[in-house]
Amino acid sequence: MTESILELPLDEQPDPGEFIRAAMQWHFNPETGSPYWLERAKSLDFDPRTDVTSFGDLARFPNIVDELRDVRVEDLIPRGYGPDPDIVGIFESGGTTGPPKRVIMLQDWWRRSGAWISANLDAHGFPRDVNWLGLVPTGPHLVGATLARLAAYRGGIGFSIDMDPRWVKKLIGGGKAEEAGAYAEHLVEQASFTMRTQDVGVLLTTPPLLERIARNDELVGLINEKIRGIMWAGAHMDADTRYLYRNEVFPQVKLFGVYGSTMILGGSAERLGLGPDDPCIFDPPSPIITFLVIDPDTGSRVGDGERGQVVMNHVSRNMLLPNNLERDLATRIEPPAGRAGDSVADVSPVARFGNEPVIEGVY
Amino acid sequence: MTEPLVLDALGPSGPYRARTRQPIPDVAGNPLAELSLVPKLFVTRAMSALRRSRLLPRQERLAALTEAGQRFATGEVDGMSAGDYQYTVSRMSGNPLPIVRKAAAAIARSAAEAYRSAQQARPVGAVNDWRESTAGRGTAIWIRRGSVFAVHAAGNHPGVHSLWLEALSLGFRVAVRPSRREPLTPYRLVSALRAAGFGDDQVVLLPTGYEAADEILRQADLGMVYGGQDVIDKYAADPTVLPNGPGRSKILITADCDWREYLDMLVDSVSHEGGTACVNTTAIFVEGDATPVAEAVAQRLAAIPSLPPEDDKAVLTAYRLDDAKKFENYLHSAADGATAHLGGGGVVDELGDGSAVLRPAVYQVDDPNAPQVNVELAFPCVWVAPWSREAGTAPLTNSLVLTAVTRDERLIDELLADPAIKNLYLGNHPTYWMEPGIPHDAYLGEFLMRTKALIRD
Repeated sequence: MTESILELPLDEQPDPGEFIRAAMQWHFNPETGSPYWLERAKSLDFDPRTDVTSFGDLARFPNIVDELRDVRVEDLIPRGYGPDPDIVGIFESGGTTGPPKRVIMLQDWWRRSGAWISANLDAHGFPRDVNWLGLVPTGPHLVGATLARLAAYRGGIGFSIDMDPRWVKKLIGGGKAEEAGAYAEHLVEQASFTMRTQDVGVLLTTPPLLERIARNDELVGLINEKIRGIMWAGAHMDADTRYLYRNEVFPQVKLFGVYGSTMILGGSAERLGLGPDDPCIFDPPSPIITFLVIDPDTGSRVGDGERGQVVMNHVSRNMLLPNNLERDLATRIEPPAGRAGDSVADVSPVARFGNEPVIEGVY
Repeated sequence: MTEPLVLDALGPSGPYRARTRQPIPDVAGNPLAELSLVPKLFVTRAMSALRRSRLLPRQERLAALTEAGQRFATGEVDGMSAGDYQYTVSRMSGNPLPIVRKAAAAIARSAAEAYRSAQQARPVGAVNDWRESTAGRGTAIWIRRGSVFAVHAAGNHPGVHSLWLEALSLGFRVAVRPSRREPLTPYRLVSALRAAGFGDDQVVLLPTGYEAADEILRQADLGMVYGGQDVIDKYAADPTVLPNGPGRSKILITADCDWREYLDMLVDSVSHEGGTACVNTTAIFVEGDATPVAEAVAQRLAAIPSLPPEDDKAVLTAYRLDDAKKFENYLHSAADGATAHLGGGGVVDELGDGSAVLRPAVYQVDDPNAPQVNVELAFPCVWVAPWSREAGTAPLTNSLVLTAVTRDERLIDELLADPAIKNLYLGNHPTYWMEPGIPHDAYLGEFLMRTKALIRD
């Protein structure tokens, strides 16, 4: 009974409190919870089954994502799935800050999450029954695995390329920006082979790679000839850039952004109907995936329209990943009516320095 | 001021008003202008448009340059008169109004002389045109090392925009990234160039944040950047980027000359241009007793009045008060161990509206190799140091300009032989002296051009 509310399609709107209570029963009942959480609960100073009764109570959980670097993935599977759970795959975080964190994706969550993204693609005018080409991280990265499955779900074939984002980060961190650039060029070249010879109708990529593609007049021509939708993921796109793509570079191509993270097993979708001057707003499928924009110094939520750091929650039958302070900054935006948490806009990496005026010298 | 001035990016298909705009305050911190900041994608597309654009024939280019310089200095450009422009720059950058006026006239002159000036760099064996008769016997021909030139401009002084006009005159398509401290001068200059006949896809103004800034250089064949030591180090190994770094200009007076005869030149070298130029003197080296020189220079500089930058008689550069205080703190910590003749009690003089001028500072150090002699600050600040034959040329090196007041020809030969002294002025010539056709930091043409062999029937 309590589980069924956890299995609704993502566009349904369960009462957030009821939903959270059902999830706590699932994850902390010795018969249904995962070995990881059942063990971890012993060191909590509260009982999630009685003390976590509302969406806001998720903030009582410690941020456990660092523990996901070491946990046996088998221990992350809720026992309620039985002895033979249907596992889609193990996915890892980007690996920017040390060894990767791992999550496990089970079939039921994958199906519901995929159906939700697909419905968003329909709403944004993306074609069905066309092939997809992905220039996104592959291997242990969720977005790469999403590509083939989403393409198949929508009646097409998924083409992909090899892409290791950790190597790129290592190059950039080591001051080897040129090598990173050469690797990115290599990725674009790999994609161009598919683009030239195959029927491809949707492109899935990241804003930096899309910018690189846009430098190449031949590829811009191929995209305008073949591609009807570009789905971008994983980084920030400002309103001016989006305007240029829509009006000058790819005027006939639909553009749709998702902002996600491995640590929420999915993401949030660009709001439909944004005007050219609106920032890119992302709405998560609350209450399963929720965001809060907080002031990192005080931990309290910032006001609407203010900037802060993004806290992410994932609460499903599949996993419980509460209260994770991500590295991104965003503007807090009012969510669609009835949704818990915040929507976000203008996502960017946590503050970079470099704006201090240089004193010595005349320039 | 009512509405802030709107400064669009000037892209390959005309002005572009970005959604991301940076407020540009005046020296008192009040909103003065809003600068459109374009994203990387805009830069990428603008740079490829430059590469595809038609080359304006030479006669048309040069006529357009001359006309643009006139419009820039005296006419109305994009609805703004020359007087309003000069006033606004003085409030925006803090450069004294008389300096802005002179710089505007100098830019007009540089525009008219750009090609002639650039030609001074052409090797004597090279011709400009394959049609010339000497080509039949075989010759060198002077050609561009690329077609697209990029500038990361500085905002310390409007005069920095004189130089890249030479690239335009030689046929380069040019992208300018303005400084966010004073973007109005390049905005006006690019607007004037377009009004005078350059195509929108032949010269562009690309205001950007840091991330897209590198893209401008990356997509250009050749580029020029202004910056501090960090910028110089960043591009040191890149043969396609010409860095303009700290000037650290200096003056040497040897004992065979009487410094009193050169006092005007000493004082002017420190304070002219409001002290913000790379050609302002950072250190004065004196053979013999340096104290009277320091005292005399200090006495003269002390007489300069504190005036708002838009005043007709302004000499000193104004800054926002908090910035001015940062300079003062930096000066006082750098001056540790030096003797103050002027400015020891403070150099910030508030103008009452949130801005302040930085008054001159004169410090004396007791060692020609004191680290201070290379501390270049953007206001009239000079380090006076003793110098001796034993110290030699080592303390004088790494200078954009060295004015040497000496009769010692062997010393002159040594100073001339040092390639790290970029310009050498002998006698009564201030360090800020510049002329079209005379190299500033070598000829720009040496960097922009090369020769190829040509022979024809």
